[in-house]
Amino acid sequence: MFVGIDVGGTYTDAVLLENGRVLATAKVPTEVNLINVLTKALDTIVKDENKDRIKRIVFSTTIITNLIAERRYEDVDVLIIPGPGLSHGFYKTMPYAHIVSGAIDYRGREVIPLKEQEIETVLQEIARRGTNKVGVVGKFSPRNTIHEKKVSEIVKNKYPQWQIELGAKIGSQLNFPRRIVTTYLTCATREPYQSFIESIRQTLDSREIHAEIFILKADGGTTPLQRSGEFPVETIFSGPAASTLGVQALIGPDETAVVVDIGGTTTDLALILSGQPLLSSKGARVMGQLTQVRTLAVKSVAIGGDSVLDLREREINIHNQRKGPAYCLEGPVPTPTDALRALGLIELGDKKKAIKAMELLGRDLNITAEQTAEQVINKVVDSITGEIKKMFLEWEQEPAYRVWEILHRHTLKPTMVAGVGGGAAGFSPLIAKNLGCRSAMLHHASVANAIGAALAKPTLQVNLRADTEQGYYIIQEEGHQEKISDRKFNEKRALELAKNSLLKRALQYGLKPAAEEIEIINREVFNMVRGWDTTGRLYDITVQTPRGISARVGAGE
Amino acid sequence: MDRSKKTGLIFFPAFDWAITPTHPEREERLLYTRDQIFEEGIMDLPQIREYKPSLAGIHDIARLHFCVPTVEKQTTEAHLIAAGAAILLSDKIINGEIKNGFALVRPPGHHAMRVVRGNRGFCNINNEAVMVDHLRSRYGLKRIAIVDTDVHHGDGTQDVFWHDPDVLFISFHQDGRTIFPGTGYTYELGGPRAYARTINIPLQPGAADQDFLYLMDHLILPIIKDFKPDFIVNSAGQDNHYTDPLGSMQITARGYAQLTEKLRPDLAVLEGGYAIETALPYVNMAIILALAGLDYSSVEEPGYRPGDIKAVPGMAGEIERLVDELLQRWEMRDRVSPDTSKISGHYYTRNKRIFYDTDHIDERQTEKLRLCNNCPGYLVIDSDAKHGYGRSGRALCISVPHEACSKCRAEAAELYGDSKKDLGYDYIYLQDKHDDVFYSYNMGSHHEWHSEG
Repeated sequence: MFVGIDVGGTYTDAVLLENGRVLATAKVPTEVNLINVLTKALDTIVKDENKDRIKRIVFSTTIITNLIAERRYEDVDVLIIPGPGLSHGFYKTMPYAHIVSGAIDYRGREVIPLKEQEIETVLQEIARRGTNKVGVVGKFSPRNTIHEKKVSEIVKNKYPQWQIELGAKIGSQLNFPRRIVTTYLTCATREPYQSFIESIRQTLDSREIHAEIFILKADGGTTPLQRSGEFPVETIFSGPAASTLGVQALIGPDETAVVVDIGGTTTDLALILSGQPLLSSKGARVMGQLTQVRTLAVKSVAIGGDSVLDLREREINIHNQRKGPAYCLEGPVPTPTDALRALGLIELGDKKKAIKAMELLGRDLNITAEQTAEQVINKVVDSITGEIKKMFLEWEQEPAYRVWEILHRHTLKPTMVAGVGGGAAGFSPLIAKNLGCRSAMLHHASVANAIGAALAKPTLQVNLRADTEQGYYIIQEEGHQEKISDRKFNEKRALELAKNSLLKRALQYGLKPAAEEIEIINREVFNMVRGWDTTGRLYDITVQTPRGISARVGAGE
Repeated sequence: MDRSKKTGLIFFPAFDWAITPTHPEREERLLYTRDQIFEEGIMDLPQIREYKPSLAGIHDIARLHFCVPTVEKQTTEAHLIAAGAAILLSDKIINGEIKNGFALVRPPGHHAMRVVRGNRGFCNINNEAVMVDHLRSRYGLKRIAIVDTDVHHGDGTQDVFWHDPDVLFISFHQDGRTIFPGTGYTYELGGPRAYARTINIPLQPGAADQDFLYLMDHLILPIIKDFKPDFIVNSAGQDNHYTDPLGSMQITARGYAQLTEKLRPDLAVLEGGYAIETALPYVNMAIILALAGLDYSSVEEPGYRPGDIKAVPGMAGEIERLVDELLQRWEMRDRVSPDTSKISGHYYTRNKRIFYDTDHIDERQTEKLRLCNNCPGYLVIDSDAKHGYGRSGRALCISVPHEACSKCRAEAAELYGDSKKDLGYDYIYLQDKHDDVFYSYNMGSHHEWHSEG
């Protein structure tokens, strides 16, 4: 048996699954005392089942997202080593960043050395202000970690009690500004995240559940609870990832589906292309800044079932705010939910009140309540449909850097709209009609998020870079570099090293993937030529454990 | 120009395309450039918008080039993508989506001439010229300036626009006596109807930032100001860099950025530049920043020290002399009579011999311009080529310009029809830019093919 629990801002959803069947579901309002909420949700679904039969529990959460949004964390400082390039004025948008001298180039060669005295001065200043969480991020540090390590040593010597995070390990892709932001967020969230983990542990201990525990990440993979503290920012946006995986489990394996999750004031959109959730080509955007966190491509539109509606200059406006529930549910103002209810598209709340809400809204337009409701619905459906089309277009227009990628990227059209979340029921058939595809009425759609969490699989990635001319290779996730002594080092050997490192890491995470299951998602080999001779090769290899869900839920539709 | 708009970028390194594995034009040419601009987070900047390239159509190529025997035989997908990238960015500039753009693409194109029989100077298809003709056909743009900042003379672009009074082509480059392709002297000034619309600035080895900036301020910009182009293209070769293995000039990355900032091109298209580690990452980044109006003063090559680059004695004087000479030519542009020895009847003739260094093809052309009082006149090129010991087919190529009069168009069409009976040729082509149609006729198979825009 698998358990999935999605801790959302308003509700916490839970589900108990066995062999692709939903055995029990629960929906509990989220409150400040997390242990209470988790206990209630668990008790509802587990009841008198034999707890030893629960093999796995997966949590997804918006805790980190909310913590960052509300800035509930301690001050963090980041030492950055940008060297020449983009003007240093650019980093003024990061008030926590302190620039120190030094530079590494794209091949990992030191161009400008560090200045220890300068670093110590910066550290003294940080210490004076009482911060004790610092990040160190160098430009091109994934190509050579020497500068970040040196700074870290200085910090450890002078301020052994400080928390310190190195950029190369947190953000190994090439993007210095995103690496800085990701490192900053990692520093900021590590401690608070620990208390979330603690709540989970206490809950499960109190109920004597000894299953394997995992946390869902933004990319739709999971990570074991005990390791999740390493990169807490990866759990950001795991809510939308959960819904998307849930839909993936409930629909056919080759569908191209749009997941429409309509909540109170926002609608989250995600795409499943030919059965696979679409990953964002850029990292997750947190508070307007891009990070190196891998994430499913989720778009948030500021429209929801409880959005405030009003009339301005004879035009109905949808506002990016909520003043309470819908008018038909005793709320204060007309909302899209009232429009649905007034036309009988949903059965929620008091129909008379819904009609009254539409009359109030359309009073100055001299049209009937029905006509007003239709206008509202058209407006909502048109904006959401527009955003969906934009998502497909953006996917088609993602840059590509190889001839074959340009020639083989084809266009895809959605085959279905899968509505999840409270507000979706009335809108998704209309959105589907607008897109020219069918609308799926999924069983258990209201707990698709928890189902997605329950079925998510652990994912691990390893990035290897080898430079045979300089004679070294780095496994980014391990953060140290090794000499290449074998003169016959080749692509096969590089792949082997990457795969072995992945298998080793997998074991540490309690996973046992078969070697042949490992997916190679990036394999770059470039010759280095001096004059007309090849003097070395560059290898960039990324391998990962297979993505996907562990089972489908039968008769989902 | 609207400062609030973004700079459009297409980065297409063609990581799976090379001429040969150790050829300078090979897979990793833009690898370190990618590393640099990705690590700097350039694509995330609010001033930048990255686009995915699309393929140029066969007709986009046929509108400009005479590919012998066919466009398909002379192009790979990589060529169509590189030309397509320039076209796509030019569309976005015209429709106002972006303020300017940079097609960071390979393979390059400025050595590709009007007739294409193979690869010369690493080029098959002239990306900028194809894009310029697209702009004229699609949007009716009239006056276009192309400034070639590659160390090699842009002889392909010069050939394409030689007779075109509406395209100003300016190239500065290392003197042809010391570098490929061996042309680009000050006396190469364009055809009889386009005098001084071709301006060549040959420079002695060692010219540095201050020399190029002087040229920009005192020669190139004043000429452009007179010409009043609707669109400025920069053939942005980067081999004038002080570390380039093929060129012997001394521009720095910041020098390139300053040139770009002064020129303010609508669209820059990458040409050569083979110091793939020491120059390209920095020069490309500096050009992007300059186009986007961002501070490039911190871009610096590793190990660069300002004192390293020494002014060549006598260079400044030589450049002042060049500027004076060429400005005089420019002033005279509408008062010079054509060389009468080359005129017979209604035609102006020039003979050309073209060597394709990469593919070892030796081509001979007789190019005749129909002298017309009402329009720039159509062009007839008789081309024959030897490829090793074999011939690769004699072709008659007729090109009717955008501004052609109805009489010239009718004459050209008649010539095409008549030539199909002339057994001396293997291929007959008619390119009518005015009507945007292209015809080709294969004498061997009697097969006719046509396309239109």
